[in-house]
Amino acid sequence: MAARDTAWGPMELNRAAAQEAAEALRAAGWELELQLPNLPLIAPEGEAKDLVRRAKEEDAEPVWRGDAFLLLGKAQDLPAVLEHCRDELGYALLYDATAVDPSVDSAELKLIYGLRNLQTKARLIVQARVPKTEAVVPSVALVYPAADWHEREAAEMYGITYTGHPDPRKLLLPDDWAGFPLRKDYEYPEEYNGISCT
Amino acid sequence: MNSHPAARFDDKPGREVELDVATQDCMIHMGPQHPATHGVMRVLLKADGEILAGAQTHLGYLHRCAEKIGESVDWLQYLPYTDRYDYLAAMNNNLGYSLAVESLLGVEVPERAQYLRVIVAELNRIASHLFAVGTYGLDLGAFTPLFTALRDREEVLELFEKICGARLTYSYVRPGGVMNDAPEGWLASVAAFLDGFEKTWHEYWTLIAENKIFIERTANIGVLSAEQALAWGCSGPMLRGSGIDWDLRRDQPYLIYDRLEFDVIQGVGYRGQVGDCFDRTFVRMFEMVESVRILRQCLEQIPDGEVLHEEVGAVIRPAPGESYVAIENPRGELGHYCVSDGTKIAVRVRVRSPSFCNMSVAEHLMPGAMLGDAAAIIGSVDIVVGETDR
Repeated sequence: MAARDTAWGPMELNRAAAQEAAEALRAAGWELELQLPNLPLIAPEGEAKDLVRRAKEEDAEPVWRGDAFLLLGKAQDLPAVLEHCRDELGYALLYDATAVDPSVDSAELKLIYGLRNLQTKARLIVQARVPKTEAVVPSVALVYPAADWHEREAAEMYGITYTGHPDPRKLLLPDDWAGFPLRKDYEYPEEYNGISCT
Repeated sequence: MNSHPAARFDDKPGREVELDVATQDCMIHMGPQHPATHGVMRVLLKADGEILAGAQTHLGYLHRCAEKIGESVDWLQYLPYTDRYDYLAAMNNNLGYSLAVESLLGVEVPERAQYLRVIVAELNRIASHLFAVGTYGLDLGAFTPLFTALRDREEVLELFEKICGARLTYSYVRPGGVMNDAPEGWLASVAAFLDGFEKTWHEYWTLIAENKIFIERTANIGVLSAEQALAWGCSGPMLRGSGIDWDLRRDQPYLIYDRLEFDVIQGVGYRGQVGDCFDRTFVRMFEMVESVRILRQCLEQIPDGEVLHEEVGAVIRPAPGESYVAIENPRGELGHYCVSDGTKIAVRVRVRSPSFCNMSVAEHLMPGAMLGDAAAIIGSVDIVVGETDR
């Protein structure tokens, strides 16, 4: 059994796995950064609310909590990096592939891929960035078939083009839906095929 | 040219055809209102005579923009929406979201609340598996299992009604703990339910495992190999039914699962091959037994104390950051990927729902099966469309 260190799972295990994977991938020649959160996993007693504010006052560095992740230098590397993770590092299962629009002002979208290693029981988050104006990225659906539907969903919600995707149809939205609903600058439609949306 | 990812699994031989009659491919729409799709979902089947040549799943009929709503309302206001994705296991959905919010807050809830969470989550797992096995029987033409299953599920719903006032959408587990402590005598009622359930479980098992029709319609049907289950990111009974030893409760322990003893049930090819429709039902049946074991240990160990963390109020402002928290739902891995910028509204609430991933492989189990097996295969995935579409 993996050791539990927080009530939401073995975070230290996942963090160590991210460090290990970062070294292995760098050694294999890929350009990437390891992003480690700088707040403690569990806030000291009585500081859950104030910790962030005080940390901000004391230090100009951005503070954040949560998962460690790998940020790839080039989004074009994604299929090759994930294939390396699958074949060499033992991450046999892709549990999620999605995207995040950090804010209206952000010029980039974040792509997020979550992998699991069933032997070491660790999971690994691999991220990459693509510009909003030209959100084109190679699909990983041929490396992990599990990404097939996830990428179709991210494509229709964020307007990302996954090149080489085997089946790039819309998944959840109607075929004639205009706009990308999960982008932060999305404007709600007034009507859809004669049906008022207001 | 890239080939479809499914292509490499397509070398499985189809069924033997004794007499080759010239047939024409026929496209059949199964759904959106077909009862065996367990919600509104459409599967387009391509049939060559009575043998399926392909299938395509069309989702979206129940899409309610859960992720968009997640970025529009407060962290706590989003909680009732989580009830609505897998409405047969709403306690587990609440739990998954609450843990994700707590991971950004950096708050561990009081011990009594952790035990209460495990108790309601496991009770909900029993209720959900009862419904899954019962309706699966109904899909295949066996009426009796559903009625007996609903009888026991009703007892679980009554327990939930006593603790939180709701029977389907609970919002009982919340960021910071649980809504309220169990009323007096509630834990004793849980123990009484377990005593009764242990006896009736054997009744269900006989109705399933000794039922010739059920076995004929599920054994060796829709065989999902271990490699295929991994490649398609399956989880829960779908993954374990294919013989993979993986359970988040044991392998990524959360709450107090590391203090509890239970077995992870895997498919063994009980009536046919490992990974067939029968094995998935087999896993669900025996997981109920394990849930009873877990519940008994919880009832023994549960301490007294607070049930809500004092620092978590009505307005939640988690630390900036992003975190993925997954729990073992009755249907598999329910993950929430929450991104916070330190304000009271989330930047992103991504829901990785188990039915969505499990369903994506179902259309690849269809080629070579009989037309009538389509309902057996979809039913064995145990999808809840509220969760595939969100």
